Amino acid sequence: MRLTEDQIAFIRKSAFDLAGAGTRVRLFGSRLDDNAKGGDVDVMLELPTPIENPALLSATLSARISRALHGRKVDVLLSAPNLMRLPIHDVAFRDGQLL
Amino acid sequence: MTGESGLVPRLQFLARVVRKECTHLALTDQRLFGVETTGSKFTLAHAKQLELDHDLAERVEAFVGRFSRLQDTLGDKLLPLLLSALGEKHSAMIDSLDRAERLGLLTSAEQWMTMRNLRNQMIHEYVEDPLILTNALQTGHAFVPSLLSAGTKMLAEIDKRGWT
Repeated sequence: MRLTEDQIAFIRKSAFDLAGAGTRVRLFGSRLDDNAKGGDVDVMLELPTPIENPALLSATLSARISRALHGRKVDVLLSAPNLMRLPIHDVAFRDGQLL
Repeated sequence: MTGESGLVPRLQFLARVVRKECTHLALTDQRLFGVETTGSKFTLAHAKQLELDHDLAERVEAFVGRFSRLQDTLGDKLLPLLLSALGEKHSAMIDSLDRAERLGLLTSAEQWMTMRNLRNQMIHEYVEDPLILTNALQTGHAFVPSLLSAGTKMLAEIDKRGWT
């Protein structure tokens, strides 16, 4: 996993601040590949309850993490009981690692 | 102001573009979210209607296009030029946004980046979950005053410096 401990701590804290402490945070995509370089950060939040403002939540969290990572592109995918489950979610659940 | 030639005419040109883009965004915002179109709230029912209601789909398209263009003109073109005219060193986008926040030209750098991220979620052909599309458009509508205000503040700064 190509994230420092400080970066992981920041991502977790930001996710809990914006989405609640019951949220699980999972990293998936190219940042799991220790041999790759650079690349976007793909994060999935697993929310136990329905989310009212999903677009705002993922846009805000992505902005906050991106700022902390000096402008690196960050994609935030949400999994919640009221949201559709798409093939990208299957990939994230299958390959992703909990932070 | 640096002695760089062509800076003022370029600022003036972008200022004229921004004025038009602000007017057009305000107009399409009203036409999409106004009472006579969506009862002032774009709902899940509207999102689900987009494949069939071509007029509504075109209004959404116009809103997203104008929102995006204004943000790009302000953030990618006018702001770097304005900061340079104010004698600030050229820097990465994220630092320019922080400077703009400190100068009071926009509400916050984080909010600016949030608006930028939101745009990808407003594209109805691309976003498959109508709940996310609906919330993205509602949130985009809520951000319009903030985007217009950034435009107004940058234009006021240009006026104040006598570059008009």
